[in-house]
Amino acid sequence: MNEPSAQAAKEQPAQTYEAAAARVEEIIRRLDSGDASLNETLTLVAEGKGLIELCARELAAVGDALEELRLDELVTRLEGESGS
Amino acid sequence: MSTFSSTAMPAAGDGDAGAGIPGSGLSGPFPVGEYARALRGRLRAFAQVQLVGELVNLRPSRARVYFELRDPTGSIPCAIWLKDWEAICAHAAGPPADGMQVVVSGGCDYYPGSATSSPGFSFAVADLRVAGEGDLLARVERLRRQLAAEGLLELQKRLQLPPLPRTIGVITGEGGKARDDILAGLSRRGWAGRLVWGFAPVQDRHAAPAIVRALGDLATVGGVEVAIVARGGGSLADLLCFCDETLCRTVALLQMPVISSVGHHTDRTLLDDVAAVSCSTPTHAAEAAVGVDCTRARADQVAAAARLREQGRRAVLSRARLLAGLSRAPAAHLERQRTRLHQQLREIRAGARRRAQSERELNGRRALVLQRKGDSALLDCRRRKPRELERLALALAAHDPQRTLERGYALVQSPGGEPITTAAHARTSERVQLQFADDVIPAKILEP
Repeated sequence: MNEPSAQAAKEQPAQTYEAAAARVEEIIRRLDSGDASLNETLTLVAEGKGLIELCARELAAVGDALEELRLDELVTRLEGESGS
Repeated sequence: MSTFSSTAMPAAGDGDAGAGIPGSGLSGPFPVGEYARALRGRLRAFAQVQLVGELVNLRPSRARVYFELRDPTGSIPCAIWLKDWEAICAHAAGPPADGMQVVVSGGCDYYPGSATSSPGFSFAVADLRVAGEGDLLARVERLRRQLAAEGLLELQKRLQLPPLPRTIGVITGEGGKARDDILAGLSRRGWAGRLVWGFAPVQDRHAAPAIVRALGDLATVGGVEVAIVARGGGSLADLLCFCDETLCRTVALLQMPVISSVGHHTDRTLLDDVAAVSCSTPTHAAEAAVGVDCTRARADQVAAAARLREQGRRAVLSRARLLAGLSRAPAAHLERQRTRLHQQLREIRAGARRRAQSERELNGRRALVLQRKGDSALLDCRRRKPRELERLALALAAHDPQRTLERGYALVQSPGGEPITTAAHARTSERVQLQFADDVIPAKILEP
């Protein structure tokens, strides 16, 4: 089960968060339709799981980066400069 | 000498000393003083007369004035009491002098002498008159006409007087007042050239030849540009030497201008007629010799030099000011440009500051917006998106076969892990594996 999701993740290394999320939505819609075979379901779930993990990592990275930017400090500094 | 030295001489015939010359038939011997007195008496008894002749060898003494009266045939020693002489001089135009023709009145006299003084004969003059003035004037006038006829009065007049001679010759009496007057005249002119003196007697019969010689000397000295012949006033007889023909001819033929100043302005000698210029006084003669008033000319030149210097200074000063102004112009222009640049710089800086301030404020606002966006994004990342992902994960999990397996189902797979979903497929496979929720178990299909 892990193998296909890992492969799917490896197959689309440059996938963006939005594309990944859209793909997950698409996978869920496919699974919700009930048309997917067991085999496809297994594959899709593995892929979806990998994509969700990717998205979670992406979100964490972006959040960390946003926090790293310290925009509040920048605002505080600029307000101090423009007031002087 | 011892015979005549005694005043207590015995009368004639007394003793050997008074004895006469043996064999002489003449009376005497008489004592000489007695004889001298007797001679004086006889001479004084001579008739009083007038004599005419040339006055020579004039010798004033303390009490008397002695001179001789001469003519070509003889001479007589004369004496006059000093007071009489002075009275005559006072009445005459000038004192009688050597060389004059004079008429004297008087009679013979004899000074008998004494044991200590010599005897002497003289014509005792009671009165004296300078003789023949009319004749002299007539002779002078004849000579004047003759010189004029020969054109000799004009020659000197044609000579050009140097306006400022470097060397002036002066012929005058060495001790005369004219000498001082000439010096005074030259001094008044401020003249500082070379003066060559030719001293000569200026009256009596020696004067004219001496003046001629002096003129010749001046001519040979060289460099003498003008000559002055001068003497003060005097009687016609005194000035007669300046009517000497030789002197006048000599002066007329000189190439050097001669200025004459002889006698007073009323006197007119032939030299005055012949000379280039005739002046009434030696002072005027000196001023005529130096046509330029050197003192004034020098002062004028000093003033002119001062004016020139002042004008030059002004000219230089005005140009210097102009140049200074011109030279300051580029600097002033630069200064204006610099000021303008500074102004522009200030404006630019102020503008830049304003701009920078507004940009800074704008930037601050942008940063604020950015921060809000960042916060929102962070919220997305931390809350909204994870929820969404959670929802997706839940939705996905609902389809996960693992959940079915956990409920007790098993999945038939090929040994390679491929799902076997049909019996037909299973029959074709000898070996399969069963996927349970917790593990995988190999299996064997018994019935084909």
